[in-house]
Amino acid sequence: MLKTLRLSFALRNTYRVNSILYSIKQMPLLRRVIPGTVYQIRGFKIFANVISAVWELVSAFLGKYLYFLIMIGGWMGLYRLPAGAGGRAFLHMLMFLSLAGMLLNTYMFNPTKDKYYAMILLGMDAREYTLVNFFYAILKVLAGFALCGFLFGLPVGCAPWQCLLIPFFVAGLKLLMAAYALRDYEKRKNMRNENEPGKCAWLLIALCVAAAYGLPALRVFVPAEASVAVMCAGALLGLLSVRRILAFQDYRLMYKELLAGMPLLVQMGGKAAAKVQQEQSLKNISADRSITSSKKGFEYLNELFVRRHKKILWRSAKRIALAELVLLAGCLLAFPFVPGLRAGINELLVTSLPYFVFVMYFLNRGTGFTAALFINCDHSLLTYSFYKQPGFILKLFQIRLREIVKVNLLPGAGMGAGLALLLYASGGTDAPLEYGLLFVSVVCMGIFFSVHYLTLYYLLQPYNAGTELKSGTYKAVTWATYLVSWAMIQVKLPILLFGVLMIAFCVIYCVVASILVYRFAPKTFRLRM
Amino acid sequence: MKFVIGHLSKSFDKKAVLKDIDFSFEEGKIYGLLGRNGAGKTTLFNCLNGDLRPDGGRFWFEEEAGPRNAVPEDIGYVLSTPTVPEFMTGREFLKFFMDIHEGRIRDPRPLDEYFDYMSIDAEDRDKLLKDYSHGMKNKMQMLINIIAKPNLLLLDEPLTSLDVVVAEEMKGLLRSLKGERITIFSTHIMDLALDLCDEIVLLNHGVLEIVDKSDLDGKEFKERILAALREESHA
Repeated sequence: MLKTLRLSFALRNTYRVNSILYSIKQMPLLRRVIPGTVYQIRGFKIFANVISAVWELVSAFLGKYLYFLIMIGGWMGLYRLPAGAGGRAFLHMLMFLSLAGMLLNTYMFNPTKDKYYAMILLGMDAREYTLVNFFYAILKVLAGFALCGFLFGLPVGCAPWQCLLIPFFVAGLKLLMAAYALRDYEKRKNMRNENEPGKCAWLLIALCVAAAYGLPALRVFVPAEASVAVMCAGALLGLLSVRRILAFQDYRLMYKELLAGMPLLVQMGGKAAAKVQQEQSLKNISADRSITSSKKGFEYLNELFVRRHKKILWRSAKRIALAELVLLAGCLLAFPFVPGLRAGINELLVTSLPYFVFVMYFLNRGTGFTAALFINCDHSLLTYSFYKQPGFILKLFQIRLREIVKVNLLPGAGMGAGLALLLYASGGTDAPLEYGLLFVSVVCMGIFFSVHYLTLYYLLQPYNAGTELKSGTYKAVTWATYLVSWAMIQVKLPILLFGVLMIAFCVIYCVVASILVYRFAPKTFRLRM
Repeated sequence: MKFVIGHLSKSFDKKAVLKDIDFSFEEGKIYGLLGRNGAGKTTLFNCLNGDLRPDGGRFWFEEEAGPRNAVPEDIGYVLSTPTVPEFMTGREFLKFFMDIHEGRIRDPRPLDEYFDYMSIDAEDRDKLLKDYSHGMKNKMQMLINIIAKPNLLLLDEPLTSLDVVVAEEMKGLLRSLKGERITIFSTHIMDLALDLCDEIVLLNHGVLEIVDKSDLDGKEFKERILAALREESHA
């Protein structure tokens, strides 16, 4: 048993260390400095081992800490709980979330690469490997939940013995679920895969989550005594389940079935995901034979592309516009009934228009557009030398710019018009010019994001021939775009100033982007090898 | 016309894949490019096609009027895995290609004539390319690459995974096309190279070298090629 534990640790560690080294090797600046023989260099290996060991510790505690902080602490903060209800609410949420979690996460039924390497490729004793690693995972749960249970439970008024019960309850549920799934496999040959829980399990999970968060919103809590009773039952049933888990003999057969899809994933690595995306993308091509075009050359190519990809290019834009309409109508209808809403929205629009940059970041379909362009069109055509002629690249860029702006104009203009109307209905503003500025600046946000993503696509062409997104610089710039958009939430500017700045920025950005594309795209718009 | 590569080099990390490619190809010949796995055949093609930037060296055409740099229109590149725009039909792809080359294609023919030439059945011409078989996609890719009559045709194992009938059709096609251009044909299959190609070139230790066939019968020639490739593995 100890040998198996040691071996599985060593195996997992090798796999993790190599992954760490690979990630370091992919970083934009480090890539040039770090040699290809990084996997053989002692210093790098020690460094990666240290990170791996730290990660093992962090995964035991940090994950649980964040879980408590975000899933329970954060929500409790949102509800203005009556005095003395903290402990009750804490146990209420924890109980329902743990019940949902038991359906999603037991360790045992998660088909992972390390299980595939150990039991299938290297032929380790499946029963021993599973039991050792499963109970190790349970120990980590006990340690992590014990610490966090006290850390979060005591301040909200839970008794120490209640906090102590938490880790045994959570671990008990995982043991219970594992034993139940093993029995189900034994009796009915039902193979459970916790990454694909199935409709019934999703329904139960949704009910548990709704009970965890929905009931406290209505000021309904399960009494602490009842929560404790459920927790005790969970812990006890978990303990009783250990016998069945130990008695089960067919681990090897079971994992062969569970890990059947793994060889392809392991062999192809990231390529498998790219292949799936590519196949999915091809399914989005309309087979409607009535689609034709009377245009010529690149306009012909573009029109056929847009018409045959209408589903992915226009569907989400239309849905977003519809959702905007529903939200607008909802707000307008709610004004007479919700006191303070009118004033709140008016203040938001008058002082915090930059907030909507972040909203527009999420609504913009730029990345989806460029992904479809690459996977279904440029991926193949870029292998033809005629397609890479500078004049043709720029001609197609112009056409696509027009097209991507058109697609994003719908949600952009919808949001602009909706916000202008909301501004008027919520009390308006003294300067009529601000309505126009608000509309134009929101439309400009949409145009900016469209130009931005298409420019990035042409200047960094982030995909390789296998349609994998490979450019570290592209990833870094898209992250930076997110961070800047997010930071705009904090910016407070009056409509007039923000509107003028946004319009000026958009115009300047479009000009600069076009110059950059004209200058560099003939060299950069290539397949990555 | 000659296609000349001068001191072309390309390394990945510190591994020199192409060390010093220095070679001259002549018009009207099919060159069989042989090399072991990882020898750098595809890297060489990608450099010539402008998909990879070489670390050093250059390549150009030598014509009666003098030397001139190669431009994208000079090169046709057919990959082993055919890549065609899947959202178009065969006819649409061909029309698009003809549109953007309007006035530049010598003696353009009606679209159906091209399909007939490639033996692509009438009922398949208006199907989406995503529904084409591997062999049909390969034919489309080849068709697009030969209509513009490129001076240099690069073929990266184009006959691998084709059924025997299509493979024979393609071989016949390549023979009929070789007259006015230089064709470089990369393959792993030695018999195919010997059957189709006029010259055999080995990519060995990052350099290109021709295998002299003079006075050798087929068997001896094969043995010489194998000996050269084995030597590489012991290097």
